[in-house]
Amino acid sequence: MKLAVIALRNLARHRRRTLLSLLVIAAGAAAMVLTAGFIRFSFDGLREALIHGGLGHLEVMPRSGGGASGPDRSAPPALEDWEKVRAAAEQTPHVLAAGAAVYLTGMVSKGERSAAFLGVALEPDRERRMGLEVKLRGGVNLSDAAPARGEEQVLLGVGLAQALGARPGETVTLTAMTVDGTLDAIDASVAGLVTTGLQELDARFLKTHLATGQRLLGTDRVSSIVVGLDDTARTEEAGDALAPRLGSMGAEPLVITDWRARAPFYGQVRALYAGIFWFLGGIVFVLVCLANSNTLLMSVMERVREFGTLLAIGTSRGQVALMVLLEALWLGLFGGLAGDALAGVLVAAINAAGIDMPPPPGAAAGFPLRLAVRPGDFVAVLALMIVVLAVASVPPTLRSVRLRIVDALGHV
Amino acid sequence: MVIEALRGIDLEVRAGEFVVVAGPSGSGKTSLLNLLGCLDEPDGGEARVAGRDVATLTAGEKTRLRRRQLGFVFQSFNLLPVLSAFENVEYPLWIDGVPRAERRRRAEEALVAVGLGDRLRHRPDQLSGGERQRVSLARALVHAPVAILADEPTANLDSRTAASIVDLLARMNAERGTTFLFATHDAAIVERAPRTVRLRDGLVVDDVSRERP
Repeated sequence: MKLAVIALRNLARHRRRTLLSLLVIAAGAAAMVLTAGFIRFSFDGLREALIHGGLGHLEVMPRSGGGASGPDRSAPPALEDWEKVRAAAEQTPHVLAAGAAVYLTGMVSKGERSAAFLGVALEPDRERRMGLEVKLRGGVNLSDAAPARGEEQVLLGVGLAQALGARPGETVTLTAMTVDGTLDAIDASVAGLVTTGLQELDARFLKTHLATGQRLLGTDRVSSIVVGLDDTARTEEAGDALAPRLGSMGAEPLVITDWRARAPFYGQVRALYAGIFWFLGGIVFVLVCLANSNTLLMSVMERVREFGTLLAIGTSRGQVALMVLLEALWLGLFGGLAGDALAGVLVAAINAAGIDMPPPPGAAAGFPLRLAVRPGDFVAVLALMIVVLAVASVPPTLRSVRLRIVDALGHV
Repeated sequence: MVIEALRGIDLEVRAGEFVVVAGPSGSGKTSLLNLLGCLDEPDGGEARVAGRDVATLTAGEKTRLRRRQLGFVFQSFNLLPVLSAFENVEYPLWIDGVPRAERRRRAEEALVAVGLGDRLRHRPDQLSGGERQRVSLARALVHAPVAILADEPTANLDSRTAASIVDLLARMNAERGTTFLFATHDAAIVERAPRTVRLRDGLVVDDVSRERP
């Protein structure tokens, strides 16, 4: 016979009340698991969208071309011998491919219309091998081969194309400052229209072949080498492996930045969502705690004479307190397990339902809802429910240990 | 308003005695048993149990004294409803850390001694009033206390069952030498008691001993 067994039997005495308590706990636990799954899905989706939208996992550049927070897109390309850097990167474990990038800013015109652009010149074949996505909304992607002079191609962000009135197959003129400080312009055919997923960036975005970018800026250097990995979780490991391979390459020290450092937006979104999660978690904690504290207190008040008897025949106040605490812990355990089971069913149902979510603020497209729940979430929520019930048991436990035995024995 | 439940009482109960504390409701019987059972504390005077002044004991010492040296039988039986008869009797041994095999043996012996050897697995709600009080008595006896304090243990029983319970208490007193303090206002029981202490308004008005039959 153990106090835990007595506590369990005490719960079974009032089945309906215990069932209601378990339902409250299970609902709270399921809500926590679902929220955690939704938020992780959002984090994962945003992270992969940023990486595969063009950021890559790692980026190598000369120190003067940027800092820990990423490249200075207004600085002229500064990386010499970039083919060696690219080759070294591609020999690093877990690297799918590495591609050179030139960042461009300037004006793009079509007829009477002009607009500023933020552009990037890349190697399309390597971009594809890195797993970077090109979200075409019309036309075709850039050719893999470097275009001959006079046959330049660009992809325009859908917003930028709309502002210019440009369609695939039409010609636009790119104007930019060369590395020598003079203005240069080239004509390019609009191969296709793309979206970055962000409406504001789509209104300025332009992409072209690396060769075109270098011709426009009058340089054979590049801004950076973008590196794509086979697994985002390997980012740090790959960066550590790549650093010694770069060694003394380049005229000046090279720095490696990971996608997180170049995407402060991700950190801000994560902090916001984490705040929402903990706020919701706090509400669930308080609701479950108050509801069960009241139920446990009621249970103690109904058994005052019983506690008086236990104390009279030699049960210590600590043992009485432990009995009340154990009742709460059983509730937390069973309620948490029920909540986990409920959450498991709901997660499977929601993921199978293929629910489409509307575009988030600033985004150009919606996304299919999936809940990215991990086994650790179930364990954590179960542990949290046990802690909630332990906290909820404080008032009834104090009530039980403060009883005067003679009063308790005379309680009706 | 201050009510003096007990005043000026000078009472000594020797080991092995069977003492009935008689008196009408409100005379102080329960208060006297509560003091001797370390369930309550006197505002003045001295109460000694097994040679120890109750007022000088810590809460833990009182708990251990109740657990090891005293047994309690209540008017309403006060059994734990979630435990079987056997588990209720085993409970005081369990909280005292008695090994499993020994406590099982002693609990079974105690239940057999009160005539409930065939009711070990029954829950209190499956037992009659008399059987519940026998379980309560077995629980009070199982750890071989020096004294058992029984507060109106027959008040909720019919006269025939009450008589059988008193017989059982008397037998335990005779066979085991356990001291009994038995509060009641049942005249039939008072007449049979070897020693009767009568209380009225918190005072001892009579203390009579008679030869055992």
